Amino acid sequence: MRELRRRLGDGAVITDPDARLVYESDGLPYHRRRPAAVVLPLDTDQAAFAVARLHGAGIPVVPRGGGTGLSGGALAGPDAVVLGTARMRRILALEPAHRAARVEAGVLNADLSTAAAPFGLHYAPDPSSQTACTLGGNVAENSGGPHCLKYGVTSRYITGLTVVGAHGEVQELGGVEGRPAPDLVGVFVGSEGCFGIATEIEVRLVPIPEAFRTLLVAFARLEDAGAAVTAIMARGLLPAALEILDHATITAVEDSIFAAGYPRDAAAVLVIEFDGPDTALDDDAEHAERICSEWGATEIRRARTAEDRAQLWKGRKKAFGAMGRLGADLVVQDATVPRSRLPSVLVRIGEIAAEHDLRVANVFHAGDGNLHPNILFDRRSAEQTERVALASRAIMVACVEAGGTITGEHGVGIDKRDYMSLVHGPAELDMLRRVQRVFDPSGLWNPGKVVPDGPEPRPLPHLPPDPGRQRDLSRLAHRLEAIAGLDTQGGGDLDRGGAPGEGRRPWVTPRHADAVAELLRQASSEGWRVAPVGSTEAATADVVLRTEGLAGIAEYEPADLTLTAGAGTPIADLAAAAEGAGQWFPVDAPGLEGATLGGVVARGVEGALAGTYGAVRDLVLGLTLVTGDGRPLRLGGRVVKNVAGFDLVRLVVGSRGALGVLTEVTIRLFPRPAVDRSWTLSAERPERLVGLAQRIAGLALPPASVEVGWGPLEATLAIRLLGSSSAVAEGWRRIAPLVPDARECAPGEGSAARARLRAPSLAAESHTRWSGPAGGLDALLARARAYGAEVGADSAGWLLADRGVAWIGLPTGARPSRSESSTHDGAAARWVRGLKQAFDPMGVLPQGPFGGAAWGD
Amino acid sequence: MGSLEACVHCGFCLPACPTYTRLGDEADSPRGRLYLMRAVAEGRLDPAADAFQVHIDRCLGCRACEPACPSGVPYGALLEQAREQAARHRTPPPVTRLFVSILGTPGRSRLLWSLGRAVRDLGLAGLAVRLPAWGPLAFLRRGLLMLAGSAPWRPERMDSAPAPSSLRRGSPHEATPGATRADTVAVLEGCVQRHLFERVNRATEAILTANDYEVIQAPGQGCCGAIHAHAGDLEGARRLARANIAAFEASSPDRIAVNAAGCSAALREYGSWLAGEPLWRERAAALAARSHDISVLLAERGPRSGGAVVGSVAYHPPCHLVHAQGVAEAPLRVLAAIPGLEVRSARRATECCGGAGIYGVTHPELGGRIGVDKARELVDTEADCVATGNPGCMMHISAFLRDEGSAMQMVHPVELLYESYRRAGLVPAIGEKTVR
Repeated sequence: MRELRRRLGDGAVITDPDARLVYESDGLPYHRRRPAAVVLPLDTDQAAFAVARLHGAGIPVVPRGGGTGLSGGALAGPDAVVLGTARMRRILALEPAHRAARVEAGVLNADLSTAAAPFGLHYAPDPSSQTACTLGGNVAENSGGPHCLKYGVTSRYITGLTVVGAHGEVQELGGVEGRPAPDLVGVFVGSEGCFGIATEIEVRLVPIPEAFRTLLVAFARLEDAGAAVTAIMARGLLPAALEILDHATITAVEDSIFAAGYPRDAAAVLVIEFDGPDTALDDDAEHAERICSEWGATEIRRARTAEDRAQLWKGRKKAFGAMGRLGADLVVQDATVPRSRLPSVLVRIGEIAAEHDLRVANVFHAGDGNLHPNILFDRRSAEQTERVALASRAIMVACVEAGGTITGEHGVGIDKRDYMSLVHGPAELDMLRRVQRVFDPSGLWNPGKVVPDGPEPRPLPHLPPDPGRQRDLSRLAHRLEAIAGLDTQGGGDLDRGGAPGEGRRPWVTPRHADAVAELLRQASSEGWRVAPVGSTEAATADVVLRTEGLAGIAEYEPADLTLTAGAGTPIADLAAAAEGAGQWFPVDAPGLEGATLGGVVARGVEGALAGTYGAVRDLVLGLTLVTGDGRPLRLGGRVVKNVAGFDLVRLVVGSRGALGVLTEVTIRLFPRPAVDRSWTLSAERPERLVGLAQRIAGLALPPASVEVGWGPLEATLAIRLLGSSSAVAEGWRRIAPLVPDARECAPGEGSAARARLRAPSLAAESHTRWSGPAGGLDALLARARAYGAEVGADSAGWLLADRGVAWIGLPTGARPSRSESSTHDGAAARWVRGLKQAFDPMGVLPQGPFGGAAWGD
Repeated sequence: MGSLEACVHCGFCLPACPTYTRLGDEADSPRGRLYLMRAVAEGRLDPAADAFQVHIDRCLGCRACEPACPSGVPYGALLEQAREQAARHRTPPPVTRLFVSILGTPGRSRLLWSLGRAVRDLGLAGLAVRLPAWGPLAFLRRGLLMLAGSAPWRPERMDSAPAPSSLRRGSPHEATPGATRADTVAVLEGCVQRHLFERVNRATEAILTANDYEVIQAPGQGCCGAIHAHAGDLEGARRLARANIAAFEASSPDRIAVNAAGCSAALREYGSWLAGEPLWRERAAALAARSHDISVLLAERGPRSGGAVVGSVAYHPPCHLVHAQGVAEAPLRVLAAIPGLEVRSARRATECCGGAGIYGVTHPELGGRIGVDKARELVDTEADCVATGNPGCMMHISAFLRDEGSAMQMVHPVELLYESYRRAGLVPAIGEKTVR
């Protein structure tokens, strides 16, 4: 401590027991723990120094941001030290041209948006505590907020992190190159301080919507408000936010200085917001108003001015704080249920409150099915406190039984730790512990949080990857035939000699997940190499696994906008099912024809619509996979917001079969836009088009996709606009002057036109991916083309303007400029190895992006 | 203690707190201080403990946390109680005691401020900018610079002939709206104002008259007691409050005009200060209800427009006006009544200047960090002068403007309006008279 004080300064190290008292609690004072000390570094160097010294002395470290968390995640016990980011408040870079910013962890969420506002940009995720919570805290919790309904949660907006890992190592993750697989940024976001501390954060900013329609709708029954929400989403509207406040919450807000003019006699009010170009919003707003009327709305108001809107939102965002008026103490609960179950779960919560003789005030993100029942009590009464614990648990059980999860955005922390077993089985908890050990081998990062105590993970026997290892394949075919539920075929055209005694390489088609598990267990003990058919490493595998036996839609509830299907389900089947309900899976990438859901997830496709809807990694809600040693795991869930445990789903997406065999996937769907129009413009060389593409993508009202594809003879720019007819018309009105010569594709011909422009680059056997800041496409194209020329590429490529990504087709035999797996070094390289080992200890699966030597090379 | 429990620990107040944003320690945030108060109330913390003493003392009392609080925790009142409790267990620092003692005794107060005024008027205080800022000299230097900051604003720097483009035609002789009856108004003379800002008091009287108020004298009034209450000497504050109540009752004005935001906030709290004294409770509440910041009284009458004062002014809202009383618009309406005057707002305009009563002197280091930031933000507005309606803020900000090498002068909004009226011939000329 003396050394820390010398380096960081006197006020930066707090050891006086009384002064530490205020760090006993965060935003949830239901829990209290007093830390051994509090350390407040100024920058990454000081933070790394502090972690090195503390971990070196075996002292656990607990990161803390604004102290607004609602799961007790920032509390440190008497043997641990709090590492606070309150002094790390610099915005390090704000680059409007690239729609990017780099900040220190202690920068407040709202302050970043304020700083970006003069450039017409903001940081989209807006937790209700945004005026007080830090971006570091948002990263740790993978925070949500009202507008995440349309824009998605924190994870989607983080492009890079500087993290301090165990023992003070400083590691850059992601960054200007994007988030290459394995997605360490994705798994770090939401790790609740258990993997390390993010000290600097790179985020993507988005244009501030031009106009809003904010509605306030009153209902005489809470369930009716819930039903109206379900109906609004089911009818294809996509509001920016959809929030419910119940009667008790309305009273608290109206009594506060943030009184928003909510009708005091209503049982519930619904706040609905649409955003976009001004001319396009009235249709949506009127449609929503009609639906609310059908569901018995007693009053409908529209915010007339920006002040009206601000007032309505202030009431919503300060609601939690205002509850101090209702009771002495408050437990803020957080759970997500499938949207269609909202009405019944709300009734059940009311019953639970009555059964336990407690008052519950509900205020929540209804559009996401993300509930926040707030239980009021007085902690001086031990008996009441006990009842609160019982009611909390009962609410969690009810939500999980309805197909939901125990936390949508507040995190697990201390508060939800005991509920983790409601949503995770022993195998999943074991995997969470294993992954935690990869980042934190000594258990010195935020101990006692997230994952409940349980058996220490049993060390798995493992083998380092060794391409030259000899394997006994003599009994392979015989053994495969003995596995129940596994269809074997003689082999395929991938045959390149195979193992001694085997004429042909066996292809297997499991009919269910158990067969996959059995296959991989045997593979692990025998050392067989197994690869899914789509893997680039299938050519050298001993067994090639086909997934068409794992096809079929398992669950599709259009009102929830979620779909669960077997990994082998063709994307085409899934698209057909969604289309029947007016919905779609908004992924537009080459090669989707004939692809399976599992293949798309394993490849982590980003696609042309990723800027608008998110990449595949943002659209996968949950999945089941069988690990390399045959352990079936169910990761994530079936609800749109879920932070119950570390985000292992992000890790699996894009892992190219390296972590396990996918058997089932749950994805998020979107209402299919009413209008889909495309335009193209051709030129001789792509250089003539990227400048235009960049300007179009940089408009305040950007199109759904802007891409440039080129071959040796011609380059084409394609622009796609999606939305209501008025929104699309308005969008094109602004783009048209930039591209007077563009031609509109005939209805239904847009996808064919896009396929044509992508075709030259697709013809190549392999590709190299280049990415850079979105505002520097000229430079990106020049770099990529120069490389192409160097290796003698056929000068074919594809570029996504809004993402700043380009792919160059490579000639046969040329190697990518840098393997997507080789970018990790230092601590990250160790993490990557550790993660692969946790999922595939015997190395039976492909290496994919997890580096190391691929088989047979 | 009931109001302490209203805090649900949401943390929304933290970013509003100038000490927390500077120091990063949650014990120096409103939520942290409330937590310490609650720990004392629950018997978990000894009020004599360093943590309680230091962190309660380090609060500016700016009350910027109150408008940030969804639960409506009455932080200002709780802080005063905590300060009283702290003072019972440990004697406050000598500088604080010195101020409390001087301001509480009219004779000593007169002596100190007369001396101060002489030093200022001889031009000695301004020389302090040449003193080195270390050790005990830092304290002296800060004090002298603040003293120099009370010097009168020089209106001749601002043109009276408006440039054609910025001309906003006033209507100096038009009847002011709403003036149906001449309310009688007494002006709180204050202690610092009476001696160092006498010109502001006289200007206050003149512009009230010009806005159809009838100004009457209220002899026997004294210090409002704000500094005492903030320092935890609640008994001393009550003693001064009783004296003022008696004095104002004697002359019985309809309204009491206060041109120091800290004092108007204090007068308006007399009701709660004396809530426990049956003999005084109602009288205190009645006085509180009649007391207003000068800007509020002026805004009620428009105020009427005067002659052009061409230039720009950065308005700094005093904490005890904007946070403690929620008065944000009225001072802007006063400034808007001046033709040719452009009003600008600094970044983070509603943050405290660090002066906070006597805080700038008792906590020169931290008060100084806040003051420097404030001065830089004001300099960035590139306005001709800075207006604020509280003598403490005027002096503290002035000290840092001087340190930053800025020529911007501090001015009370009342002085600007007076100058405007003078140019239109609406008010008689006043000189800086000697104290009676």
